[in-house]
Amino acid sequence: MDEEEIEKAVMTYLKKKGFKQTELAFQEEQQRQHPKTALHSTNSHVDPEIACQILSFSSELENNPAQYHEGYGKLRSWAYSSLDLYKHELLRVLYPVFVHCFMDLIAKGHIQEARTLFNSFREDHEMMHGRDLQKLEGVLSPSHLEEMEFAHSLRQSKFNIKICQYSYDLLLQYLHKTQSVVMLGLINEHINFQVSPGQPTSISDDAEVVTLMGSGQDAVNLINQKEIHWGLLEDSLEERLEKAGALVPDSAKVDGEAREGEVEENKKRPYEGGKQGASLKKSKKDKVATATGKASRVETSTVSVAPRVKPELTLPSIPAEVEHSILEDLRNRVQLSSAALPSISFYTFINTHNGLNCASISQDGSLVAGGFSDASLKVWDMAKLGQQTGYATSQIVEDSYPSDSLLGANSGRKSYTLFQGHSGPVYSATFSPFGDYILSSSSDSTIRLWSTNLNTNLVCYKGHNYPVWDVQFSPVGHYFASSSHDRTARIWSMDRMQPLRIMAGHLSDVDCLQWHANCNYIATGSSDKTVRLWDVQSGECVRIFIGHRSMILSLAMSPDGRYMASGDEDGTVMMWELASGRCISPLVGHTSCVWTLAFSCEGSLLASGSADCTVKLWDVTASTKLLKTEDNKTGSINRLRSLKTLPTKSTPVYSLQFSRRNLLFAAGVLSKNT
Amino acid sequence: MSIVPKETIEVTAQSIGINNLSPDAALALAPDVEYRLREIMQEAIKCMRHSKRNLLTTEDVDSALRLRNVEPIYGFASGDPLRFRRALGHRDLFYVDDKDVDFKDVIEAPLPKAPLDCSVVCHWLAIEGVQPAIPENAPVEVIRAPSETKLPEQKEDGLPVDIRLPVKHVLSRELQLYFDKITELVVSRSDSVLFKEALASLATDSGLHPLVPYFTCFIADEVSHGLSNFPLLFALMRLVWSLLQNPHIHIEPYLHQLMPSVVTCLVAKRLGNRLADNHWELRDFTATVVASICKRFSHVYNNLQTRLTKTLLHAFLDPKRAITQHYGAIQGLAALGPNVVRLLVVPNLETYLRLLEPEMLLEKQKNEMKRHEAWRVYGALLSAAGQSIYDRLKMFPSMPSPPASTVWKTNFRIIHSCSANKRRTPADLLEEQPPAEKIGNDGALVPLSNNSSDMETDKDPAALGDSSAGRSSPKDIRESHSERRQKRDQLEKRILRTPALLNQAWKDDLDSGRLLLLLFELFGESIFPFIPSPEMAFFL
Repeated sequence: MDEEEIEKAVMTYLKKKGFKQTELAFQEEQQRQHPKTALHSTNSHVDPEIACQILSFSSELENNPAQYHEGYGKLRSWAYSSLDLYKHELLRVLYPVFVHCFMDLIAKGHIQEARTLFNSFREDHEMMHGRDLQKLEGVLSPSHLEEMEFAHSLRQSKFNIKICQYSYDLLLQYLHKTQSVVMLGLINEHINFQVSPGQPTSISDDAEVVTLMGSGQDAVNLINQKEIHWGLLEDSLEERLEKAGALVPDSAKVDGEAREGEVEENKKRPYEGGKQGASLKKSKKDKVATATGKASRVETSTVSVAPRVKPELTLPSIPAEVEHSILEDLRNRVQLSSAALPSISFYTFINTHNGLNCASISQDGSLVAGGFSDASLKVWDMAKLGQQTGYATSQIVEDSYPSDSLLGANSGRKSYTLFQGHSGPVYSATFSPFGDYILSSSSDSTIRLWSTNLNTNLVCYKGHNYPVWDVQFSPVGHYFASSSHDRTARIWSMDRMQPLRIMAGHLSDVDCLQWHANCNYIATGSSDKTVRLWDVQSGECVRIFIGHRSMILSLAMSPDGRYMASGDEDGTVMMWELASGRCISPLVGHTSCVWTLAFSCEGSLLASGSADCTVKLWDVTASTKLLKTEDNKTGSINRLRSLKTLPTKSTPVYSLQFSRRNLLFAAGVLSKNT
Repeated sequence: MSIVPKETIEVTAQSIGINNLSPDAALALAPDVEYRLREIMQEAIKCMRHSKRNLLTTEDVDSALRLRNVEPIYGFASGDPLRFRRALGHRDLFYVDDKDVDFKDVIEAPLPKAPLDCSVVCHWLAIEGVQPAIPENAPVEVIRAPSETKLPEQKEDGLPVDIRLPVKHVLSRELQLYFDKITELVVSRSDSVLFKEALASLATDSGLHPLVPYFTCFIADEVSHGLSNFPLLFALMRLVWSLLQNPHIHIEPYLHQLMPSVVTCLVAKRLGNRLADNHWELRDFTATVVASICKRFSHVYNNLQTRLTKTLLHAFLDPKRAITQHYGAIQGLAALGPNVVRLLVVPNLETYLRLLEPEMLLEKQKNEMKRHEAWRVYGALLSAAGQSIYDRLKMFPSMPSPPASTVWKTNFRIIHSCSANKRRTPADLLEEQPPAEKIGNDGALVPLSNNSSDMETDKDPAALGDSSAGRSSPKDIRESHSERRQKRDQLEKRILRTPALLNQAWKDDLDSGRLLLLLFELFGESIFPFIPSPEMAFFL
């Protein structure tokens, strides 16, 4: 058969099938290869054998929808009856084939057949891909396929499947032997095999073996190769503390101290004594080899050994007395590790009548904000609450600075200050590092800035077109980022009405976001199951993290800037290394949505709060060490060690916050029937 | 092929005024409607997640509709859960029950209570990684597997192994000390003041619950080994009593272990090995313990009382058992209440008394000790029967008669005339009763004179069981006997007549009349102190 004929056959086949885009792409490619005459020969890409099959397929089988059902059924029973050793690898192939069979049938208009196929085999995939199946189930006409983002992305991208050589051979052999062209075609078109020599991998690391590549794996790889500077800011307060505390002898403490060098008013938790002060200072000392420190002021001092980066944003300055108090906190910080777990103070919201959408705690834990579905934002001053309930607060008052006008702020009968202004449910609230501003985002697509000193609304930022799911102050204040249903994340500064940057690229809602410790990056988590890292200065996407199986609900950045944790709807928490873009360990333990994550200030512990009414503490240092040792061993199970599970009575945990002194604050709503 | 049938589309079209929708259009629309519905639900789920809930509400659906620029559906926003009704004739078709509300009702209804305002409370979830045991935290399990330290190590090598360790009951040091102290007191120093304090503590302290299994075990052990040690047994029973009093202890699960020991102390053949031991007192006390257990737990274990009475009755009716055992059984039954006595003891009284009779008589039973025991039993029976009849009678409305107890002693006639006048004027018979009866009655009030009853039984074989007659002074015997005959006749007559005189509501009275009669036959006048005077008068 001559090449031209083949091409013609391919063209007719494509036309017949209605693969317009493929056809166009094909033609384009032809044009490119043969600039002069489109039909001139030597299309070396088409293997004559495949063409043969395609031809026979197009002539013999036409649009026979039964082919799909039968072909898939056979493939399935073959895979299930294969040798146990290779079975789990071969089973991985089934899901991509299944969804594409379904979509092909839909695309050709065989709705009834598609439904039958779907219903007869959906149980197989229910466990792993339940949510995706729910989405696909609704697709009932070719137009839906194009409209639906999920189907679209499936069509556009390839599945990546890791498989061992022998399994791969088995599969090919089967496909050739049975002449099931439909299956062969589907597999060729939509699956990208990463064949590895040797034995099949163990079943346990299933999580990573079947991945959907967004805009093609290459693009992701490309993006993930960009250089990022995850080091901490030079000249952080912590750094300065280190220098000041140089008089204290130091000992071994590897991990960097993060500094959210922030200012803050009524700091001072009375509970954490100053006893740890000494050990603290030591730790500050040798952050050799690691990054440390963080948000900084523009005022300068010297350099440290750790990788340091220059701030790309102009950073606001901190008042001297606030800086002072932060330094004081850093000196008094409790050193946490797997052996020294934090104290947790839990703020429980009661009588919310199912109306609380979010809770936020200021950095020192003295203020708690709740965003409600009735569009109100309520702020509690815990210092005052404490006075009523005999909480040890006198020190808080004494230690707070004269500038702290919060004490006199909400003197009404109510225990809270009510902020009203939004016209839709409030989905997120965040305190500025100093605790004097609050930002809230709402379904009315606006973000509002409130002053806790004046108890009033200062600014209403309009820019998003759809509900704003999340808003976060940068670690230095002044700048903030928001994420929305309109699939963008935006960077703002407090003094401008318009966003400074718009980050677009996610395929679905951007549900949560988090600033990097050095303020040069933000991370966003989305309903498209990916996490992206963006450069704030350029607005470019610099990393894509793929691996979650459901929507991302929470993110946290380690204070040393090296790692990121993300939690999803299924209760999985994943730990990522920013530099490489790889998942270093999935943390399995939660059984329901992980609403919140927080790293302790020196980065040794990760706390996660979930809808299953528990707070879990994870050992970060152990898991990262583990990673280093078995770095290149594929298939090793490196799970983060779960140190402790702390159940609440019946309170899903909405928010977690480590104070600068490493006291952990948690907040949640008492819910009777969940 | 779509879950939305085309009929639904047609109906919807009609409802908005499109009457000529072509079937093809409906068919084409159906899948799209389904797709849109699913899309909206997916958006609603997103909204639900951002409200940090796991329960989809109507508000979420409204938000989703707003996201899509669709007008939300009104009327479902109220916080109340929707009430669904099943459509008649369809198995799985439901609709929301939307009742018409009258404005008047709404306006006139009182304002509902204002909901509580939202607030924040604060507590320690953990202090340096350890959860404090405070009410705000989830209860820390008392029973937990030891060696938690081992588990993390196993996890480290990547193999999460779930090893079930045998459950161990952890008892705090303080509780152990407490237990040791109490047991020591029980065993060795049960007469000290300290023991009284300990009993008070047992009866009131909360937090003793973990010790209950140990105490039950201890009691069972000591009772089975220490039957000859009277002070110990008494101390143990007081311990049981205190435990029962403690409102913080949940003793039901251990009752089955406790009951055998308690019942042993009630009906054992010998309790204590010395003559001085007042085992009667112990039996009396144990009877009250048993009764209180029955009263408190009979609703939990509904066969508790049945089983207990069966055991006791068995002991009571077995002639081979020692007389002490009979005593315990009678006391136990008596403590269970008058009804139990009436139903179980009284029917057997006659036979039993026949058995008891020889034991009580000087000439038949030479052993002073044994005779004493028999009289004890007799006393117990009498008081049990008396209690039961008293209980029975006092249920009736008291009769308007003068305070009787004094009167009828001094002037019997007045009573007769009184009662005759007021209650049954036709019963003039009473008036004719010989004054001699007074003597008999007075005799009945004389404290038991146990040495005098011998002759009577010989003379009147028919009334053999009626030992009480012997308590009248010997010279009265004949007289009183004939009187009694007479009186019985009268009573019977009257009882027969009552239905004619009184209405049906007095049926019970009739029963108790018979009961009284029986008791009177068996015990003679000694039953009288248990009878409220008006009734007394009435029956006489």
